[in-house]
Amino acid sequence: MEEKGKKQKQIKIVVSGPYAAGKTQFINTVSEIQTVQTEAKTTKRGEKEKKDHTTVAMDFGKIQIDDEHVLYLFGTPGQSRFDFMWDILGKGMVGLVVLVDSTDPSTFHEARKIINFFESRYPSPFVVGCNKQDLEGAWGPEDIRIALDLDEDVKVIPLVSLDKESVKNVLLELLEEIAKHI
Amino acid sequence: MALTGQLEIFNFVDIFQIIRKDKKDGILVVENDEKKFAVYFKEGNIVYIREVKKVFYIYLDIEFEAVLKKEGVKKEELYRLLVGKLPVLLAVKKGKFSFTPGFIKYSEDIDVYVPLEKIIMFLSRQLTQEEVERKISDEKLVYEKAENWEETAEKAFLTEKEKKILDAIDGKKTVEQIKDETGIDDIYLRRALYGFLAVGLIKRAKKKKKLGFNLTRGLLKKIIGVIKGL
Repeated sequence: MEEKGKKQKQIKIVVSGPYAAGKTQFINTVSEIQTVQTEAKTTKRGEKEKKDHTTVAMDFGKIQIDDEHVLYLFGTPGQSRFDFMWDILGKGMVGLVVLVDSTDPSTFHEARKIINFFESRYPSPFVVGCNKQDLEGAWGPEDIRIALDLDEDVKVIPLVSLDKESVKNVLLELLEEIAKHI
Repeated sequence: MALTGQLEIFNFVDIFQIIRKDKKDGILVVENDEKKFAVYFKEGNIVYIREVKKVFYIYLDIEFEAVLKKEGVKKEELYRLLVGKLPVLLAVKKGKFSFTPGFIKYSEDIDVYVPLEKIIMFLSRQLTQEEVERKISDEKLVYEKAENWEETAEKAFLTEKEKKILDAIDGKKTVEQIKDETGIDDIYLRRALYGFLAVGLIKRAKKKKKLGFNLTRGLLKKIIGVIKGL
């Protein structure tokens, strides 16, 4: 990526999670550019009821750090039929945010599968963002920790991905985790 | 905190795993349109299963002795009744559950006859492919034995094949490698691992975290500053 005549170094954070967990919104909320999206119309029964469009390859957003460095946030597709993209996106990441829809426990098993996938192949620091905490019926982070069978040392953070401060908080918690491994 | 959910999403293995972990006294209520059960737990183990017409009946008594009196049950009958009622409870696959810790008080002479670990392993052997893949979703996963695993294994009443699988778990081998080494078929292996996790025999092995970029502390500080300033 060329900018201002210099080759910029890319730092990659991956945002993953089950279908309709709010990954695209999460990236949109903090990206300096309009998120580059690769969406298609939802056609599968059960998915159509949740949203009209879905990410099929990846989303990405950008945050400029300095003249030399740029932070990219890559959002994975939520459905496991696109899991080949998880492999592509996992390579070279510095950290992972796994989002869950706190109001939809039927997706928690999928979140566990995603964590299993990345932990076994690309074991980077990760945090879990419990999205949609502003909605009625949202499970609390500690209940989600139990449901996802997460270890005590994994950060499970309340999140409203429409709220910039909330998204920033999740990213800062991840960066704190990353700092432990430098 | 009451633990609640749907049986279609969380099966009994998952529910019992959570209750066992905290070794709590409490009552698990399982209900659907047809049946309502109260499952009494003492220190994380089932001591009695009661079928009721209405859920609020369950909360009328806080002394377990009073429950037994109301049901006309003697303490020496608890084992026989539990063994008789367990298959009826475990056959329930749809409905909602709610576990309320505490509430019920037991006298010291109420014994645990069937360790929960044994029940969990029994149930794990019947999990569907879809269920096992919720947790054992990847052949690259690595497990290690948990602390006190020998003590837990005794309570779990493992089969010879399960013992073979447990022997092979060393914190290094992947699920795929264990499958190759033991020659045990995939679904049997995954069911066993699911059960081992639930009873606390094994845990996920921690891999050394890797960063895909040569980050320095200075650069990380800069990134944190930029994020804070957004």
